[in-house]
Amino acid sequence: MGMFTESIQVSCAPNGVPLRVSWNGCDYRLVAEPQRWFERRKWWDENLRIPRGIGAGLVDYEIWRLEITPAMSRGPMQSIDVSFDPQSTHWRLIRVNQEMAIGA
Amino acid sequence: MSFTHLNVTSSYSAHYGVSSPSQLAATARAQGADALALTDRDGLFGAVKHVGACLAEGIRPILGVNLAVLDDAGKPNGRIILLARGNAQGHGYAALCRAVSAAHQNPRGIIGLSRTELATRLASGQLMLLVGAESDVSRAIERHKHQHARNLLAGWKKLAGSALRAEITTHLSEPGKRYSLGFASKLLRFAAELNITPVMSNAVRYADPDGAVTADILDSARVLHSLKALEELQPTGQGWLKTSAQMHQLAQDLSRVTSRSWARKLLHNTELLAHWAALDAHSDLGWKQPVIPEAKVIGLYRPAQQELTERVFSAVPRLLPDANHSAVEKQLALELGVIDRLGFAGYFLTVAQTVKLITDMGVRVAARGSGASSLVNFLLGISQVNPLQHDLVFERFLSDTRTTLPDIDIDVESARRHEIYHKIFDTYGLERVSLMSMQNAYRARGAVRDAGAALGIEQEQVDEIAKQLWRFSASSFREALEQKPELAPLAKRITQDGQLDVLIDATERLDRLPRHISMHPCGVILSDASLLDRTPVQPSGIGLQMSQYDKHDMDVMGLIKLDVLGVRMQSAIAYTLEEIKRLHPTAQGVARAGGHQNTQYIEEDGHIDFSKVPLDDAITYELIRSTHTLGCFQIESPGQRELIGKLAPREFNDLIIDISLFRPGPMQSNMVKPYLEHRHGFAPEQYLHPDLKPALAETHGVTVFHEQVLRMLHVMTGCSLGMADVYRRHLGNPEKEEALASFFRTSATARGYSQETIDKVWEVLSGFGSFGFCKAHGAAFAVPTYHSAWLKAHHPEAFLAGIWEHDPGMYPKRLLVSEARRMNIPILGLDINRSTGHYRVERVFESAIRPAPVIPRAAGTIRPGQYGIRLAFRDIHQLSEREVNRLVAGQPYESLADVRQRAGLSRRSYQNLAALGVFDSLLTGTSRADTIAHTQSMAHTHLPAKYRPGPGQLALPLGEIEPIKVTGAQLSAEEVVRTELDLLHLDVSEHLITSYRQRLAHLPITQAAELLRLRNGTEVLVAGVRIATQTPPMRGGKRVVFISLDDGSGCIDATFFDDTQQRTGPLLFSTRMLLIHGVTRRTGPRGISLQALHAWDLHQPELLPTAGYLDDANRPQPTYRPKLGQAVPGGESIADLAKRMNAEGLDQRGA
Repeated sequence: MGMFTESIQVSCAPNGVPLRVSWNGCDYRLVAEPQRWFERRKWWDENLRIPRGIGAGLVDYEIWRLEITPAMSRGPMQSIDVSFDPQSTHWRLIRVNQEMAIGA
Repeated sequence: MSFTHLNVTSSYSAHYGVSSPSQLAATARAQGADALALTDRDGLFGAVKHVGACLAEGIRPILGVNLAVLDDAGKPNGRIILLARGNAQGHGYAALCRAVSAAHQNPRGIIGLSRTELATRLASGQLMLLVGAESDVSRAIERHKHQHARNLLAGWKKLAGSALRAEITTHLSEPGKRYSLGFASKLLRFAAELNITPVMSNAVRYADPDGAVTADILDSARVLHSLKALEELQPTGQGWLKTSAQMHQLAQDLSRVTSRSWARKLLHNTELLAHWAALDAHSDLGWKQPVIPEAKVIGLYRPAQQELTERVFSAVPRLLPDANHSAVEKQLALELGVIDRLGFAGYFLTVAQTVKLITDMGVRVAARGSGASSLVNFLLGISQVNPLQHDLVFERFLSDTRTTLPDIDIDVESARRHEIYHKIFDTYGLERVSLMSMQNAYRARGAVRDAGAALGIEQEQVDEIAKQLWRFSASSFREALEQKPELAPLAKRITQDGQLDVLIDATERLDRLPRHISMHPCGVILSDASLLDRTPVQPSGIGLQMSQYDKHDMDVMGLIKLDVLGVRMQSAIAYTLEEIKRLHPTAQGVARAGGHQNTQYIEEDGHIDFSKVPLDDAITYELIRSTHTLGCFQIESPGQRELIGKLAPREFNDLIIDISLFRPGPMQSNMVKPYLEHRHGFAPEQYLHPDLKPALAETHGVTVFHEQVLRMLHVMTGCSLGMADVYRRHLGNPEKEEALASFFRTSATARGYSQETIDKVWEVLSGFGSFGFCKAHGAAFAVPTYHSAWLKAHHPEAFLAGIWEHDPGMYPKRLLVSEARRMNIPILGLDINRSTGHYRVERVFESAIRPAPVIPRAAGTIRPGQYGIRLAFRDIHQLSEREVNRLVAGQPYESLADVRQRAGLSRRSYQNLAALGVFDSLLTGTSRADTIAHTQSMAHTHLPAKYRPGPGQLALPLGEIEPIKVTGAQLSAEEVVRTELDLLHLDVSEHLITSYRQRLAHLPITQAAELLRLRNGTEVLVAGVRIATQTPPMRGGKRVVFISLDDGSGCIDATFFDDTQQRTGPLLFSTRMLLIHGVTRRTGPRGISLQALHAWDLHQPELLPTAGYLDDANRPQPTYRPKLGQAVPGGESIADLAKRMNAEGLDQRGA
């Protein structure tokens, strides 16, 4: 499993569930229902300012595990974990998983 | 379908919940919820606020509690929630209160309920049990012990039957962590297998996602570990009040991993339970319906109103023998009419009964607050002020426009307060009485300590910061850093060190959050036998039961609260009266000693009855005008002495005005100066309109009292005085003041007042209305002020002993030594046979003639010097109360050996007593120094067996059996003072400053006693011991610091303005011995103070100024200073100042 914080474009349905991914100039579609959870973040180790009213995203971040395959061509299926950072409003690629995701 | 949150903790779950009930209710309402539960941990601390907030938002309140379950060994094992049934005529709520109270009854103070107790309480059908993510079942699931989890859940079903719900919560944590979807779905499956109805919750700890960070800090503060070392972090930050749509989505997530149809069921069941639990404030909680004790308990055998009327009228001949009958009858008709229409007669009788209970114990009682406006209160013996005599307005206390119970506060002797509580409990019974609690919230110091510990910042560093925080709130921390010179080094460090920035963020997050409850200093709740159905209770620090509700909860919950406030001055007065009686046990004796012309108020045994002492004693006012008011109630602070000096009171009403004026508001706004100018005839009195003259004449046209505001509104608008009091409360309220303004203008215009008059009067009303003082309260306060000054003038020795004994004032005891010196009252040293556990007045048989004292003393009183005050054993460092008792019981002692044999002192106490010269009167031919050396060489205090006297034998003098070496050594005066300070915290033999004289010899030091003779604007250097520091708020944000020094000859009050504060820096609050350079500022015929220009620490001799300093061209010069009573232009508004005073707790006087 590799660790990334690479930029990635994710398009979502109105309820916030990812639908399509654009990564390295290539479009991908989802082949399974995305899984999501929240991972803990240790904000005090990052020496971040924590003023009142800063909002979400300091204590945890949302992870979506997406099973994707290229949209236009036939290609291998891949499992990636992506996360949306509400502070920067960007999606990030967190990991590329070697093995298939395990259901929750 | 909207979703109802059934598991919600507020900030009243101390060190757990983040958001206040009102934030939670407002958030829920904004999300379209129509009900909201509050299930705080271990209690209902926030319940009443929750109900109030829900009613304000128009949603239905639900109440419950989150409690630990105790196993057979009494140890906590998981937590559950109990919800009260709603629409049950209060039975559900009562069951909840009783369950919470029971959870606080366990031995060793562990809070929780055993399974057996839970079963019994659930059997009533009034409570619902929620077993969820904090329960033992979920713990088993988390450890993958699925069969065990099933068994546990089955056990709960057996215990609770149909009163059980499985509470399903997911925070979408990482798989394998608490609140993960997987664990939640397991619990849901098991519940389905066992046919237990599942409901859904979000285990809310904060209203919005932002609160998650605060929750982390609270978790750390709760378990006293830094965040780094914290074992169990919240797995996510998802515990917020999610919207219905978000909760529905979570239900979908759950059903996706369990069964498709379950989402709807979950949500439906949740709403069914919400409906079952929704409370009706009126029928379930008795919202705003006062409940008084049963008639028989307050000795009532006829209708309350009839009883009250008869009691009141029968007291008239005794208490108002000379009053104008028609005025009394008219007033009583008004008061009794209002009381009757409101149905409050029982309440007044309850208070009267309680006051009688206290006075029957021989305790001094005085009513305070607006209650003094009522003639009924005066005639019932509740208040000591006759409202007719002082022109008070009953409507300020109670009128038809008021529906809540009025506050009647009672001051009692502080030393007997607990005794009184016990008496009230015994009389009314545990089922009707409880103490009130108070919430203690984070203030700056505590917040920075806990935030620092959470972030793992070195404790030393945090302590240093905490020490610097001076009275301001944590949320103004950042602002304070920029403005306050003593924080400058810290501010500099913060800009360099990013971690400290985070510390401030964290501190601000903790600020004002509740920390714990404690016993309220004076609140006692009285009710009928249903009290424990209406409030949860827990043991207080003194063992008596204490309600979990605080003063804000009383009115709405229909709980009657009496403030029984322990006032040290009342104890000091009681002690003084006892001493007078002990020394002069006859009426003539007291009259002779105190120089009393009139003996009507002195009883046969020498007891002085203050209710008969006239309020016009000339020498008392002379003493007050002299400003030597140390020890006198309310008028001893430096600022008050300055005001007293300017105001020069001549009669009781002047004292009322003085006390009412001496508050930050009037002092900083434009009230004091015009009042003083008009009073002394420097400027002609001005009235905004001739119609207002009757209301304002007593204060020369300046608005000081609430009562005057009422009368002005009454005159200008024609409204009743009762309505006027309602309007008065709208003044300063941003939401209501505008409507009042237009009403005022319309009505006043209709009554023919000119636009100009209306504008001017409104300006006064809106400016000072919210700042004025209730005259009744001032009058009630002025009574002990007058009494203490009266005692100081007539019986100074006994009065000083009383002050010494009960320490009621703001100054340290050592200042009393200086005061005694100025009063020419000898302080008699500790003596083994003459001292006792108390400060006693003692006849002095010495012939030394003492000069007349500086401090006025009634003519004809016994000469100063004939009586002295004997120091007491009780304030000797490390001497225990038991040792004091044994020591006193063994008196008199013949010799040191006798002391050793019978007093049972520890070796250290024996040495301490020797060092203080307690044994000096037993010494024959040896010095104190020799005795000290001897006691220090002793191995034991007990006499060797061979020297112990047998039965009937006398002990041998120690000198004969264990010879004390006579060395001829003598202690130096400095050594003696040092010992006194160390062991007594007093400098009895000479003033502390004496030993510093040498190092100041090169400078021209001015004594306090000389200051008064100096011209205004003289530059001086003064040196002394700090005795008080005060920082009243100033308009315009500029802070002024008052520092009072004592140099043995008197007090010096120095004012530090901004520029001098910058110059002195950290010295300002931390140094004890000070040298101050300043300019004299005359404040009145008897008053002078210093405007400080610079200050130094006497312990840093190398930094002290050199000889010729006062001629140094570079020394600081006086610059601008704001005059008292002059507004700083562009400064904060009065409303802002009022707000800040309130926020920083600066106004200590109550309402």
